[in-house]
Amino acid sequence: MTVLTRRSVLRSSVAAAAAGALARPFIANAAAATIEVWFVQGFVPEEDAAFRAMAADYEKQSGNKVEHSLTPYAALRQKEVSAITSGVVPDVMEIADFALAPLQSWDGKLVELDDIVEPIKGQFVPTALPCCYFYNNVTKKRAYYLAPMKIAAVPFHIWKSLVEKGGGNLSQLPNTWDAFLDFFKPLQAKLRAAGMRNVYSYGYQLTANGVDPINTFNAFMIAYGGTDFVTADGKLHADDPAVRDAAVKAIVKLTSAFKEGLVPPGCVNWNDADDNNAFHSKLMVMDFDGTISTELALFHKKEEFEDILTHGMPLSNDGKELPSQIAIFGPVIPKGAKNLAVAKEFVKYSMEPKVLNEYLKGGLGRWALPIPEIVKSDPFWLHDDLHRTAYVDQSVIKPTIPIYEAYNPAIAQVGAEHVIMNGVFDVMKNGMAPEAAVDTAFKRAETIFGKYPIVSS
Amino acid sequence: MSTITVDTRLPSASARPGERMRRIARRRRYVMNVGAAILCAILIVWTLTPIYNIVMVSLQPHGDVFSDEIWPSNPTLEGFWVVITQGYWYLEYFWHQFGNSLYVGAAVTLLTLAIGSLASFSITRMRIRNGWVVSNAALLTYVIPQSFLAIPFYRIMQSYGLANNLWSVIAAMVTFATPYAIFIFSQYGRGIPLELDESARIDGASPIQIYFKIYLPLMAPALVAIGTYALLLAWNEYLYQFLLLSDKHSMTVPVALAQFLNSDEAPWNLMMATAIVYAILPITIYYVVRRRMTAGLTMGGVKG
Amino acid sequence: MASVSVLDIGRTTTRRQSLWRSLRGELKGSEYTWALAFCVPYLGVFLAFVVYPALYGLWLGSEPSLYSELFSDPIYQSTVVNTLLFIGIGVNLKMFIALLLSGFFMRPGWWVKVMLMIFILPWAVPALPSFISIHWMLNGEWGLLNNLLYAMFHIDGPSWLNERWTALGAVIVSHIWKWTPFWTVILLAGRMAIPTEINDAALVDGATGMRKFIFVSFPLLANLYLICTLLSTIFTLGDFNEVYFITGGGPANLTHVLATLGVRNAFDLAQPRLGVAAVMSALPLMIPLVIVLMRKLKTSEVQL
Repeated sequence: MTVLTRRSVLRSSVAAAAAGALARPFIANAAAATIEVWFVQGFVPEEDAAFRAMAADYEKQSGNKVEHSLTPYAALRQKEVSAITSGVVPDVMEIADFALAPLQSWDGKLVELDDIVEPIKGQFVPTALPCCYFYNNVTKKRAYYLAPMKIAAVPFHIWKSLVEKGGGNLSQLPNTWDAFLDFFKPLQAKLRAAGMRNVYSYGYQLTANGVDPINTFNAFMIAYGGTDFVTADGKLHADDPAVRDAAVKAIVKLTSAFKEGLVPPGCVNWNDADDNNAFHSKLMVMDFDGTISTELALFHKKEEFEDILTHGMPLSNDGKELPSQIAIFGPVIPKGAKNLAVAKEFVKYSMEPKVLNEYLKGGLGRWALPIPEIVKSDPFWLHDDLHRTAYVDQSVIKPTIPIYEAYNPAIAQVGAEHVIMNGVFDVMKNGMAPEAAVDTAFKRAETIFGKYPIVSS
Repeated sequence: MSTITVDTRLPSASARPGERMRRIARRRRYVMNVGAAILCAILIVWTLTPIYNIVMVSLQPHGDVFSDEIWPSNPTLEGFWVVITQGYWYLEYFWHQFGNSLYVGAAVTLLTLAIGSLASFSITRMRIRNGWVVSNAALLTYVIPQSFLAIPFYRIMQSYGLANNLWSVIAAMVTFATPYAIFIFSQYGRGIPLELDESARIDGASPIQIYFKIYLPLMAPALVAIGTYALLLAWNEYLYQFLLLSDKHSMTVPVALAQFLNSDEAPWNLMMATAIVYAILPITIYYVVRRRMTAGLTMGGVKG
Repeated sequence: MASVSVLDIGRTTTRRQSLWRSLRGELKGSEYTWALAFCVPYLGVFLAFVVYPALYGLWLGSEPSLYSELFSDPIYQSTVVNTLLFIGIGVNLKMFIALLLSGFFMRPGWWVKVMLMIFILPWAVPALPSFISIHWMLNGEWGLLNNLLYAMFHIDGPSWLNERWTALGAVIVSHIWKWTPFWTVILLAGRMAIPTEINDAALVDGATGMRKFIFVSFPLLANLYLICTLLSTIFTLGDFNEVYFITGGGPANLTHVLATLGVRNAFDLAQPRLGVAAVMSALPLMIPLVIVLMRKLKTSEVQL
């Protein structure tokens, strides 16, 4: 039975492949070449389809062939590390995490993309560029090693119905940091009184897993004036009193919510997906989580989709604009790529604003387009959907700063070791003073930074 | 088979001391049965609680997965239907990938059994001089854990031209399964008297005849155990499979399952339904071949 | 059994004969060729897929500076403690349970067979969904366990994964849950290799239950049991799945084991050499295990 099914599936897929091969327009090209391209599997099928369409268009125009594989990001990252370590690499690969591109650039394992990025850099969000401009410890200078293809920021996600049920009024949502957060505090008690046994005000990610807790802490630290934790010269400013003060305040704000029982206790050991699971099961009123994937997961459930409010950064406590940290994802070319010229041509093609716009629209806007001109002119980005509008406004139009990883790969290790979150745990569970937690964490961060000295030219 | 042994021996053993002993034996058996029943109950709860959770998630409509229910309020088989009909984009090639898994699983099982039993036959039955060196060298495979040989494996598969080929996964899994197979076969083979081989040899049987006619049938229980091990190793392994396979057509089901972790949010009910559908086959196979274990036992009893 | 020791005596005398003979053992010309031929497939696998990756792996983790970096990792110490606990408790408890259960599954009766089918389910279900399901099951807010506690006793259970010891306990229990079936099946096969007449003789002598186990079954199983325990220890040292999916090393990196630390270093930190070093740092534990294992295998080949 299964054998039969398998055979018939095999047969039909062979037939489909054959038909595809015949249908493909053939352009005579003496120098036709094949490149191997690894991209991250899309979040929705449309995203993969958009990538395939882009690759097919490139094939049609160039006569070259793109052999692509679309892999889930965690698997892709392991493949990429294996490929670079073993030296057998594809021609183009997409980076889908914070650490890989800065670390591999540091080791001189990536090809410089200055010739691709320099000519077009005027069109991009200015903060997107440093996100791709990494230090190479072999040549001792910075260059573009990543093409700024996709931009992502961290917005707030709020259940409107829970706010209302808890007696809140979103039109009175304050717009300064502490007041904004505190708005959600009293909702929990009222919701519980209304019979919801398991509901919490906040969905802070106080786990030592994945990038979400790092984003959370950084946003809080920046909100309290700690923007200069790591600066563009790649230096760590753990001894800067303003930074230290901001870090302490951030930890206090996050841990006191936990201690007061305003955060689901499970958040101490959530995995990557748990905050979304919890938010979707209405375990909390508000969540702070990267991209609008939270909303898009409910894209086909109109009622729930409409019930979520996406919100960018409020102002700082003293009323100034708070920058959002942005991350850039996109393709790199590893050294050892067999077909460097074609690989570059493909990256160049995919970075053409029109091409890129069409491709990213396929992903429903989970990845925003880092080109303000198009974002403003194409109604898709700022007009068609309220969630997307808020998110794109936050990541492309409003003030932003690059993630710290762009400045020094050491911070990637600080993040992956969850140096800060280990301290947060000590504060929450072992009664450690926030100041002591910050001291321990910063000390470890300094040790790690010691391994990544950057010579400023 | 063992039923018969026990039943024929017990009366003869207890008949002599008379009625009292028989009563004690009966009470003893009663206590044993009650004990066995309690053990069974514990085993069932122990084994099935996490499975129950998997089944519960698979029966829930998408979106209701996380709630305070202990049984879904609206259980539905829809998740299974979606898996079987490949109705979700992660699962669009499910049966094709299932076929790949089956292909890999069958190849790994057969190769592991063949290579492992031949080597252990040579080492322990034919007693090739310094054969222990072979089984000791095989241990080198396990000195570095499997998960860390992934990077070197990725590299050699590229140089052997096996990239994105199911045979790369098969080769990797056979590599990890055979040393273990050799160990277990060697250990197991100790219980089978060597005189059997000796007398066959004197009767003029060639080594290959002894291997097929005497060794393999007597090894049946070990073959079943190791075969199941090799099958499940290949069936459920995913690190190598996603490192070595890249496109949706060459993927196996565990790689397809890993796709569910791609996004922050996924139809978990489908993931769990896929896992259940996927797990049915190896259990069925084990159930079918388990009869062979008893067959081997009988022969051992007769010949030994 | 007696005739075997005669064979051994014969061996010691042949050993003094010509060098050529000692190289080939007692095998005659064509038989020696056969014996070699039987080893060839495995030697092929070994040369093609073990030597290079293992050496490459060792080379990846060979830089001394990696180790000073590894030991300066603040969580390294607790990781080693966790690894020792995970292996010390998890593996031994698992093997012991498997040993007892394999005896239980020798019992006659259809319901024992049905129990065995149920019991091997955890082994058959792919690791990824089962461990994710356990991760959810233990969630404090919507996990099945706490939902059950609430439904039955109206109490709010703790967040099981929020404390180091409960989280580590959960990992160990899950390891036992997942892998006891496998080792039970292996030991079950081992028990079936015990020649029936030994069992029968024991029954005639009136040895039943515990006494039979201690004086008859266990001595015969002891070697297999020891080898299985050693191998299981080695396998478990490199297995990252339980910790990776159930606790993710949390809370606050307090439940990492060397294998997950290695995975984190290799892939989250994108420093594969440091990852290999993490696992290599278990070599002081691994090497004695391997030596004991080699001895065991060698003696088991010579004696019998």
